[in-house]
Amino acid sequence: MMNLLLQFVLALFATLGFSVIFRVPVKKIPACILIGALGWVTYEIAVFYMQSPVFGCFAGACIVGMLSSICARFLKEASTVFIVPGILCLVPGYKIYSTMEALLLHNYGNTASIGIETLMMAGAIAIGLLVMGVAVGLVRMAFRKIRSF
Amino acid sequence: MEEKRRQKRVLILAVRAGEIMMKAGAEIYRVEDTIERICKACGMDYVDVFAMPTGIFITVDKGFEEDDTYTYIRRIRSSETDLNKISRVNDFSRTFTTTDMTVEEGMDELDEIEKEKKYPITVRLLCASIAAACFSVLFGGNAMDFIIAFLIGSVCYAFSRILSHAGVNFFIHGLCCCAMAAFFALIAATSIPGAHYGMIIAGCLMLFVPGVAITNSIRDFLSGDMVSGLGRMAEAFLTAVSLAAGAGIVIKLWDMIGGITL
Repeated sequence: MMNLLLQFVLALFATLGFSVIFRVPVKKIPACILIGALGWVTYEIAVFYMQSPVFGCFAGACIVGMLSSICARFLKEASTVFIVPGILCLVPGYKIYSTMEALLLHNYGNTASIGIETLMMAGAIAIGLLVMGVAVGLVRMAFRKIRSF
Repeated sequence: MEEKRRQKRVLILAVRAGEIMMKAGAEIYRVEDTIERICKACGMDYVDVFAMPTGIFITVDKGFEEDDTYTYIRRIRSSETDLNKISRVNDFSRTFTTTDMTVEEGMDELDEIEKEKKYPITVRLLCASIAAACFSVLFGGNAMDFIIAFLIGSVCYAFSRILSHAGVNFFIHGLCCCAMAAFFALIAATSIPGAHYGMIIAGCLMLFVPGVAITNSIRDFLSGDMVSGLGRMAEAFLTAVSLAAGAGIVIKLWDMIGGITL
C-alpha cells in the first residue's frame, strides 16, 4: 500500500515534468498530472492482479482515455492536451531498454520475447485509447439522441 | 475585386490556423475541422481540406457561378509539441466562429499565438530532470539512482535542445541523446557504489520516448486518416529504435574498451 502511494507520487511528478516539457496550459496541469498518475496506478494494480504488463497497459490507457475525455468535456479543452502527458508514463521505456540489453548479450530468445512484449504493450496502449475513443463517441451520440427527444 | 481579396485573406487565415496546430502536434481531424469551421464562418460554402503531418491542402469556393475556386497548399516542415498552442487555436476557432471577429483581428490573434514563448528553459530543465529521476525510481531504482538520473536527465535534455536548434534529423537526435545518457550513466555506475546504470538509462530514455507520435497515430486511425496514422506510427517505431540503438552502441563500446573508472 505504502509502495503504491509512493509510486503514485512519483508518477505525479513524472507527469508534471512532461506537462511542462509539452507546455500544457498552466491551469490544466493539475488535471493532467492526476490523470497520468491514476493511469500508472491502474497499470500497477492490473499488473499485480493479472500478472500481465500488456493487460496493465490496456487498463491504464483506458483510464487515461476516459478521464481525458471527461476532463476535456468539463474544462472545455482539446482532449489531446490531457492524453499526451497522461499516456507517457505507460510507454514501455524500460522494456525498450531491456530488449536492447538482451540483444547486446546475444540472447536472441530473450530479445524476441521481451521485444514482442514491448510491441504488445505499445499495441495495448493503442487499443485502450481506441476503445475509449469509440466508447466516448457512442456515449456522446446517445446523449444527443436523448436530448433530441 | 474586394470580394476576391477577402476570399484570399480568409484562406490565408484558415491555413495559418491549421499550420500552427499541425506544427504543435495536433491530430489531423482537429486541424481539418478547425480550417473548415473558420472558412464556413466566413461564408465559404464549399470547403475541402486535406491535411497530413507534412502538408495542408485547402480549396474554397463561394459556390456562385461568377466565383473563382481558390486552392492553397502549405508545406509543413518542422514540428515541436506545444499543447498550449493547440488549446489556444482551438479556443480561437470557437470565438472566431461564434462572434463577429473580423479576418484582420483573427490574423493579429494568430500572430500573437505563434509568437508565444515556451516555459523558461530553466524550468523545463528542472522538470525534465524530475521526470527522468522519477522514472528511474518507478523502474525499480534506489535513492542514489534518483539523484544521478536527476543530473543526467538535465544534461541530456539540454543536449537535446541544442540538437533540435541545430535542426538535426529525429533519428540522429534520439540516438545521440540516448548515447549521451548511457555514457554518463555508465561512468556514474562504475564510480559510485549502489547505482544501477540500467534504471538510470531507462529513466533518461523516457524523456525522448515517442508518446506524442503514438497518441496521434491512434487518434488519426480512429478518425480514418490512414496515411497520417501510418506515418506517425512509423515515426514512433523509428524513434524507439533510435533510442535503443544509441544506448546499445555506447554500452557495447564500453564493454569492448573495458570500462573507464574514475
